[in-house]
Amino acid sequence: MPSYDVELKDIVKDFESGGGSVRAVDHVSVEIADGEFFALLGPSGCGKTTTLRLIAGFEQPTAGHILIRGRAMEGIPAYHRPVNTVFQDYALFPHLTVEQNIMFGLQMEGVHKREALKLAGESLEMVRLPGVGERKPHQLSGGQQQRVALARALVKQPAVLLLDEPLGALDLKLRKNMQYELKALQRDVGITFIYVTHDQEEAITMADRIAVMNEGVMLQVGTPKEIYEHPQTHFVADFIGETNFIAGALIERGADGYGSVRLQDGSVIRAQLSETLGGSAGAVTVAIRPERIGISTIPKALEGGTNPSEITMLEALLVDSQYIGTDTRFTLRIGESIELVARLQNVNEREHAALRIGQKVKVFWQDSSTTVLDR
Amino acid sequence: MRQGLINEGAMGRNRVIRRLGSAGLWLNPVFAYFFLWAPILILVLFSFNESRSVASFTGFTLKWYSNILNNVMGAESAFSTEIMLNAFRNSLFVGTVATAISTVLGTMIALAMARGRFRGKRLLDGLLFLPVVIPEITQAISLAIFFKVVFDWVALISGERMFPGFHTIIAAHVTFNISYVAIVARARLADMNPQLEEAANDLGANPWQTFWRVTFPLILPGVISGALLAFTLSLDDFVITFFTAGVGTSTLPVFVYGLLKLTVTPEVNAISTIMMVLSTILIGISLAMQGRNASRA
Repeated sequence: MPSYDVELKDIVKDFESGGGSVRAVDHVSVEIADGEFFALLGPSGCGKTTTLRLIAGFEQPTAGHILIRGRAMEGIPAYHRPVNTVFQDYALFPHLTVEQNIMFGLQMEGVHKREALKLAGESLEMVRLPGVGERKPHQLSGGQQQRVALARALVKQPAVLLLDEPLGALDLKLRKNMQYELKALQRDVGITFIYVTHDQEEAITMADRIAVMNEGVMLQVGTPKEIYEHPQTHFVADFIGETNFIAGALIERGADGYGSVRLQDGSVIRAQLSETLGGSAGAVTVAIRPERIGISTIPKALEGGTNPSEITMLEALLVDSQYIGTDTRFTLRIGESIELVARLQNVNEREHAALRIGQKVKVFWQDSSTTVLDR
Repeated sequence: MRQGLINEGAMGRNRVIRRLGSAGLWLNPVFAYFFLWAPILILVLFSFNESRSVASFTGFTLKWYSNILNNVMGAESAFSTEIMLNAFRNSLFVGTVATAISTVLGTMIALAMARGRFRGKRLLDGLLFLPVVIPEITQAISLAIFFKVVFDWVALISGERMFPGFHTIIAAHVTFNISYVAIVARARLADMNPQLEEAANDLGANPWQTFWRVTFPLILPGVISGALLAFTLSLDDFVITFFTAGVGTSTLPVFVYGLLKLTVTPEVNAISTIMMVLSTILIGISLAMQGRNASRA
């Protein structure tokens, strides 16, 4: 049996609000492995923070079970759970010094003061913030407070560390650095991290696995690559990165996981079917990432070792181009009504310069880059 | 009028209105402070007046202050330093006990209001302001009647007659002080980040430890501020004390009122000035405590 640190079994959480009740978490089940960096990703109000608070013990589930290290958490208050939280606004005790903040949790366990002091010093070093122990939290910058919050939680050596948008209040540059540091720290200490964020890039760069949530439902759980490359629902495809959605009708399902889709201009393309696609053929959406689309004026250019039968190529009109630094964004029109966005890296500027607005071009992509979703 | 043209007449009218407005804004506080402070200033001024009459200020003296401490007063006065000091002691006793009780109860109410979830919370919230808004005389009479009813019941059941005294004054003071303490403490609690309590919980502190190690230290300035306010109100209270006092339990304001029955002497001015200074200091400390930044406690 695999060792899971956290298991959520069919969790439901309803909140009373003005006579009615609102479902914040809707039948969520997931298993999080020991030592995993697990991200809960979704827009605000999707239930990700509530899920975290249920694990922490600040809220009780309306239905379902939570297991931490195989132990059921029913009736176990937050202060007896083997988890610690890094709060969004850090929640450092303003009346205590940094050192006292970190020692707080140890003293609750009955750790002797001298020992606690030593551990506090070590954990401050671990978050690379030595020598600030005597200061009050308000004397530190936001980034430093963030590290103190981290040290305060990690010094308890929890089974699971819960992080509620811990980098949300930091500026962009600091956030990037902290992403890298947090990931390295997690690898070093080997503690399971459950990380709530609404920032898809943060989730993709840091997490081992991501759970995408919307309206209380866990839509898809997978590695960043699986989530990005093979979104199983329209929402996931839309929420993570930029995606082209092309409306069409599924006319044939192949046994190889691919199907034929007729687009609005009448052309038929071969595309990969998502696992969650409904049973009956009908209206579907084909999702494809802008960076997966190639543009060429010379059809020959794409013969690069790939089997041509696994490549889709369509006639298109170049409508617009937009320089965005590393890439150029091209807007293309297929037929009368299909608009596509393609992103090409600016490695060969001369090639891009050759593309003129209003020009007829060929767009092409590998069939494996597509996903057919329910509309 | 065509678009784009400026309406000169309206502009002129607006200018006049604006000028009147700013003059009003300037005059308003001048009048307000004048009416607030003029009587008090006169009282303080005449407590240092050489002449016994308030008709004119004839020269500076401290003799009224020394008189009240040395038992020297006019023959027509019922004044005695000993009685005054006794009244002052009564005031301190009543104030201290009432403050202690109302601070504990008021803080508990504030906690329940800020953190608790229970039926009738909004009703309690409204009722909390009642002692602040209802006329003092109404509260005084209702308390007097209440104590009489209670004493009648006690007499009926135990056969023993109770009389008003310190216990009734203190109970009465607690009833109005609770509101003030609760309101001030609750304001402090509202400023406090509730996640701090969750953080303490998360770090292994049970609710009891969380209260004493996190919540209480953080709301302490509010609690002290509320307590000082309560103590000041207790010291200054006349109406409610007058209606609930028994024999020999006169507080300082009640004693001063007794002096006034005869005539307003400069000594009364001196006592009033001392009381006012004392109250001002206490309220000043209370406000300073309230103003302390919650995040830097």
